[in-house]
Amino acid sequence: MIEQFGLLLLWGTLVGLDLASVGQTMIARPLVAGTVAGLILGDPLAGGTVGIVLELFALDVLPVGAARYPDYGIGAVAGAATAAGSPGMVGIGVAVSTGLIVAYLGEVGIVTVRKGNTADLRRHREGLDAGRLREVRGLQMRGLLRDLARSVFLTVVGLGLAVATHQWTPGTIEGALLMTLVLVGAGIGAATAGILKAVERSAVVRWFGLGLVLGVLYVVVVQ
Amino acid sequence: MSPIVATWLRTLLVQASFNYDRMVAIGAAWAIQPLLRTLPPDRYRAAMRRATQFFNAHPYLVGMAMAAVAKAECTGVPDETIRRLRHALVSPLGSVGDRLIWAGLMPGAVGVGLAVGVLVSPVVGAIVFLVLYNAAHFATRTWALREGWHKGHEVAKALTARGIQRGMRVAGPVGALAVGFAIPVVGGWLTREFTLHVKLGVVMVGLLAVAFAQWILPSFRGLRFGLVAAAVALVIGWAFR
Repeated sequence: MIEQFGLLLLWGTLVGLDLASVGQTMIARPLVAGTVAGLILGDPLAGGTVGIVLELFALDVLPVGAARYPDYGIGAVAGAATAAGSPGMVGIGVAVSTGLIVAYLGEVGIVTVRKGNTADLRRHREGLDAGRLREVRGLQMRGLLRDLARSVFLTVVGLGLAVATHQWTPGTIEGALLMTLVLVGAGIGAATAGILKAVERSAVVRWFGLGLVLGVLYVVVVQ
Repeated sequence: MSPIVATWLRTLLVQASFNYDRMVAIGAAWAIQPLLRTLPPDRYRAAMRRATQFFNAHPYLVGMAMAAVAKAECTGVPDETIRRLRHALVSPLGSVGDRLIWAGLMPGAVGVGLAVGVLVSPVVGAIVFLVLYNAAHFATRTWALREGWHKGHEVAKALTARGIQRGMRVAGPVGALAVGFAIPVVGGWLTREFTLHVKLGVVMVGLLAVAFAQWILPSFRGLRFGLVAAAVALVIGWAFR
């Protein structure tokens, strides 16, 4: 149990750092973050399912420069911890909700870190304008430490929320399933709206439409 | 470690000190520093001072601008030309990165990863996504740095190369096609245990989310819509328990 908590804390921290500060290798995508968290907890299907639903939400926003974007990676880690061990789709709604709350807190945290970086830079402007490497290195390291602290804190909060909501059923089994289905629908809508916003140009929208048609055909014929 | 390898590694941390005054400039200055070490002290300080001024670009392409600036600094290009070069690269590098990576590669790889995730298993989907995405990601970073270092202040030519232009034309449609295919497949998989009526209900919620994001209240989208929808479902679940 403690070993799993430690591994989840480590994984959540790495995922939080990957989102913006280190590498952007996309281990912070919920599909990856949730699945790996599920593997750590011995339930990769539950973790993967939460990651897949949160991935639909994540397609709504692109991690562009100064844009505000939620931290869906740590959200997926918390969501996977909530869903692990729940039967079928019953726990997915509560788990995805937990993930969304954590992702939102992560968004607030990123803005706070960047405001901290900005204030730090203003304090050291003189040294920067003198071309001193020490100031540049110091700002880099302190920025990295701020994001590390944000990632650790958010993962701990997320895992705390997961402990609180794990195996909690909202009212009835039907209520839990309703929550799951509403969030799946909202995720599908978020992904669609995100792609429509990203592509804008009509020629690319046609490719999106073609993909939708092929996907629906696949579901109808094969699934 | 050679300076160019050190710079490549440091570009991985280019957003660590992202701030609202100078954006990625501090990370970029830290990345460029190994390439400037051979300059005499006065020129080194002047180059570092210029490097810390406002700069922003896609994080994967920032190496191109930094290497080009470093080359210009090392070959004695005048201050004003270097300033203009930095200024001139901000918009094109941002635009190319957004179209090629954020609107093309990422949704494309995510779409493939999601489809594989539900058709095979989430573990395989995650691996396929990471391999596809990062093969292109690291190739882009390496190409960008190399082009910047080789072409110096004439680096803008690299952005108009046929391969990049073709990549930008293809990336968007491929990404859109992949996500378009993945959405119904994922939706079908997530609702596989439910009746057709329930599936249609899920589609209705999806259409409502799109309507809010596109026309009714664009700020109330994605995560915010999801949280409110979950709260409404929670209340309905309690009411009918």
